[in-house]
Amino acid sequence: MRRLRVLVLGLVGLAIASSLSSSGVVAAPDDVGAFLQTKSLTREFVSTDSTETIDRRNVTVAVDHTKNLRGRERVSVSWTGAHPSGGRAVNPFGENGLDQEYPVVIMQCRGRDDVSLPPAQRLRPETCWTSTVQQRSQRSTPDGSAVWRADARAKDEDTGPLSGVVSLPKACGSTADGFSDRVTTFVPRKGSTFTSCNEESMAPEAAVDASFPPAETAAYTGRDGKGSASFEVRSSIENESLGCDASTACSIVVIPIMGISCEQTSSRVLNQNCRKTGRFEPGSSNFDGQGVDDAVSSRYWWSASNWENRFSVPITFGPAPNVCDVLDDRTPFGVYGSELMTQATLQWAPAYCLRKDRFRFQHNVLPDNASFDLMQQDEVPGAFVTSRKNRPGAGPTEYAPTAVTGFAISYVIDKPDNAGDYGRLRLNARLLAKLLTQSYPASDLGLQHPGLSKNPFSINQDPEFKALNPGLDTRAREASAVLMSLSESSDVIAAITRYIKGDPEASAFMAGTADPWGMRINPSYRGLRLPRSEWPLLDTFRPKVSQDCFAENNDTPYLSRLAAPVTAFSKISEALLDAWPFAQTKCTGQGNAQFPYVLGRGDRQGVGSRMILGVTTIGDAARYDLRTAALQTTTVKPGKRFADATGRVFVGPTDASLASAVRAARPTGRGQPFDLSMDRLRTRQTAYPGTLVVYTAAKTSGLDRATARTMGRFIQIATTEGQRRGSGNGFLPEGYLPLRKTGPTAALFASAQQVAVDVAAQVGQKPDGGGAGGGAGGGAGSGDAGGDLPDNAPDDEAPGTGGPTDQDPRLQSMGETSSLSTFLGGWGVPILLLVAIGCGLAAPVTRILAARRALR
Amino acid sequence: MTSLPWVGRGSGRRRDKSLIAIAGDTSELPERDVMISSSLAVVALIVIWFLTQVLVLGSLEHERAQDRLYAELRQDLAAGTAPTGGIIAPGRPVALFEMNDLGLGEVVVEGTSAGQTIGGPGHRRDTVLPGQAGICVVYARSTTFGGPFDAMVSDAIGKNLTVVTGQGRSTYRIEGVRRPGDPAPAPPAEGQGRLTLVTSEGSGPLAALRPGQVVYVEASLQSKAHPSGGQRVNTISASENAMKGDRSVLPMLALVLGGLLVALVGSLLARERFGSVIAWTVGIPIIATLAWFAADLAVYLLPNIV
Repeated sequence: MRRLRVLVLGLVGLAIASSLSSSGVVAAPDDVGAFLQTKSLTREFVSTDSTETIDRRNVTVAVDHTKNLRGRERVSVSWTGAHPSGGRAVNPFGENGLDQEYPVVIMQCRGRDDVSLPPAQRLRPETCWTSTVQQRSQRSTPDGSAVWRADARAKDEDTGPLSGVVSLPKACGSTADGFSDRVTTFVPRKGSTFTSCNEESMAPEAAVDASFPPAETAAYTGRDGKGSASFEVRSSIENESLGCDASTACSIVVIPIMGISCEQTSSRVLNQNCRKTGRFEPGSSNFDGQGVDDAVSSRYWWSASNWENRFSVPITFGPAPNVCDVLDDRTPFGVYGSELMTQATLQWAPAYCLRKDRFRFQHNVLPDNASFDLMQQDEVPGAFVTSRKNRPGAGPTEYAPTAVTGFAISYVIDKPDNAGDYGRLRLNARLLAKLLTQSYPASDLGLQHPGLSKNPFSINQDPEFKALNPGLDTRAREASAVLMSLSESSDVIAAITRYIKGDPEASAFMAGTADPWGMRINPSYRGLRLPRSEWPLLDTFRPKVSQDCFAENNDTPYLSRLAAPVTAFSKISEALLDAWPFAQTKCTGQGNAQFPYVLGRGDRQGVGSRMILGVTTIGDAARYDLRTAALQTTTVKPGKRFADATGRVFVGPTDASLASAVRAARPTGRGQPFDLSMDRLRTRQTAYPGTLVVYTAAKTSGLDRATARTMGRFIQIATTEGQRRGSGNGFLPEGYLPLRKTGPTAALFASAQQVAVDVAAQVGQKPDGGGAGGGAGGGAGSGDAGGDLPDNAPDDEAPGTGGPTDQDPRLQSMGETSSLSTFLGGWGVPILLLVAIGCGLAAPVTRILAARRALR
Repeated sequence: MTSLPWVGRGSGRRRDKSLIAIAGDTSELPERDVMISSSLAVVALIVIWFLTQVLVLGSLEHERAQDRLYAELRQDLAAGTAPTGGIIAPGRPVALFEMNDLGLGEVVVEGTSAGQTIGGPGHRRDTVLPGQAGICVVYARSTTFGGPFDAMVSDAIGKNLTVVTGQGRSTYRIEGVRRPGDPAPAPPAEGQGRLTLVTSEGSGPLAALRPGQVVYVEASLQSKAHPSGGQRVNTISASENAMKGDRSVLPMLALVLGGLLVALVGSLLARERFGSVIAWTVGIPIIATLAWFAADLAVYLLPNIV
């Protein structure tokens, strides 16, 4: 979504964007701060009598949004007109990006490029973040190679044998004749300067294998001079030394490397080195990290020639996530429920708590069903859910449509041969079913699993996947054999499983039919009843292993170890940002008593060969600029092989596809959730199958006056003011389709306003019997009952009987009693009796028969 | 095998014998037929023995165990050493259940594995003791070994259950019977106690002999709850869950069956040497004891609450 917006915003500006959405209910959208700037950059060789301009380019840099950023949010940076890059590194992040020619350096710096500011608030190389010492400081470079000393634009003090510091601190060692040293110190927001001359003197966040991988990158420009990158910003929570937050101004610095402009020095070698123009062809790769011409590499980004070519993009950070806790001491008004809402409520909360005339709205993430039960028991005033919940004894409840969003299958996949990341992933329901049912054996260990021996190792070896996504590598990876998913109960899992069930190919696969290429479902999952709100780990296969490490830790089934579901979608989003699979298959330890073998989470995948997929919310995918897969919206009769995507339609999560899905929704009654079942979604080929409408469910009877009015106000504000697109407080972020009075969401909008009134006025009938909280149940009671959902219905029916029971009221319902029976107990005695009677009769009969034969 | 007493041995060969008489005379029949017939008879005998022991003689065993447990509990109560919490050795009596209306009087032992529920109702080790605040769970058999909780499912609702433990006397009221699909009860409120009696029942034809389905009887504490005395175990083995057998007796069962074989073969050899009377006089008690023991151990493998 963002990528498209960059172009739109860059070309026609904000005016058009705001007029496009002028049908909004309240006001024009918030300015997200799109950035666009063009500069003319040159490289010059200065000799004693003349100055020769050897390269001149008009470079335009665009950034899609720069305002109210949050920690780890990714912005899309794109540029045109830059020098084509050569010697492309597989991994352009951190120090790995140094060995490239003509890259575009993108980094985050504290301060602004504004001469009117006092020097302490301006950005300079000393306030720019790098993860390694190699990116900051050059130690003992032979004079002939120290090309920054020949920089024509450098000040005199920067061309000496030692620059950056007046004298080397002792801890940094000493200088030597014939060698040059340059130290770019790092000035943190608070505290004393880090010398950054060696690893020990770097800022603490710059440790090797730090908790966050490097974000600064030396990105790549194509032969046409164009390029783009997703740049991840870090707030003071992730990087305290850099210290960017709502009150500390920061910038993204983009330096298209043009090469150092050289002056004539006395050293012939240095002059030659400085005037080099690159040894790699534009577009070539530098797989084995060969040396490059440093004058045109990103190594000396701080040198004046490069630094003067910078584009500095001012960015602002949104309020810290804890702003309401810090600034508002009122009792929180908590709405519990779906994680689909987190990106929206992150921006909404300050719009409530920072206003004295409002209240302190707080969203607590909890599984949908549990939240609904809490709401029914009057523990919380409202719940975010995505479907009707039929619970025994539930009081009158209405559902206000609050956001149109859904789930996304996000992924990071690199194209082979260093051709960048793949952005057109297409998946169908059967591929999702294969991933979720752990039907890919992943490695030789999984291959021992009965029934999986003929299946492809991982999804990229699957002919079905290759037909839909041609041109990707076929390396077997454990991480691409599974889909990172949720261990908890969630309406999202229910939606995914409904999508699988509603697809003929996928449901045939689930029932045990092989796909046209002969791949079969993991027998542990064959015939699993769908839909269900919780995905079970059913595989119990433990492979025979020879490695000590696996043998000692073989208590968890191998495929479950790979799937390793987590408790929150946000964890999956971060795993995708880091390309860090959850698979618990990395061995550490030495196998002795002190350091026993332990199997833990594996390594991050190397940039260039990443392939990892996970279920995320559309909100997260938009916030972190994750690639999202297009899902198949048409159904095809199972049984036929196919070589390409002909005859199938794939739709990704965009505003248009969400709107199309909402058009298919049908109302089911006043204040009730809309019918957005798979059957309805399938009526429109352009509707995104992962679309979910999040409702605020609240009781319309039994709430006290104050709570009811606050709840009504929340719904009213959230569905009007909260539906303006933007990144500021109270605005609706990307990834959510705004509700509007007109257009596809009109019915939802009207329903929301109706519910706001109903809840505030408490129009519902008192429940029969008047029992306060009588018999409101929860799935918490019995684990066995969890998961199964009725077929093909938009509702999530509670387990157990609906109506009131004649049980003692003290036996309050906690879900149903599960069945527990044994064959031995049930049939043991009758069978034994039969055996006894049978044998007891047969013994004399055989003998009498034998006697009769003997008589003859 | 052919020497079992009831099979008998004919005296001579007579053409004019009746069919039954010939059938009783193994010497006139083909060896293969005698073999099959005798094997079937032996199987029938073993099965009948097992059923008799489980369904009929088992109640004797249960009564005897109850007598012993009652004496032990009585002694504990008198001495003030009856357990009130903490970790209690499995098999130790912990409470006396009395329901005069039903004529029920059962000593409850600690532990719920199949071996413990032979002697009497078993108290689940990870729950509070009867009479204490919280949820107490007791497992008992419905059909075999006296079936102490058989009447509980059908006739107990609304009646009172008196419990005597080391902390004194408590009264529970039986609230209802819970079967699969019924709503599960909410946890008791702070300071309240609940007793869940877990047993089994059958359905359909021969229901009385087919106790394959778990059934729960819920009782709520009417008297004041006793304080719980000390940390209970927080995990129990799989064999202590409802409808589980106890596989740990398999080695013992193998030994006993081996012993049974040795005793049989020994008796047969002894008969060759010393004659039937002496051999069987000595052999039968040993064989019967081992057979009883083997059947008991086999019961351990069966579900613990049938």
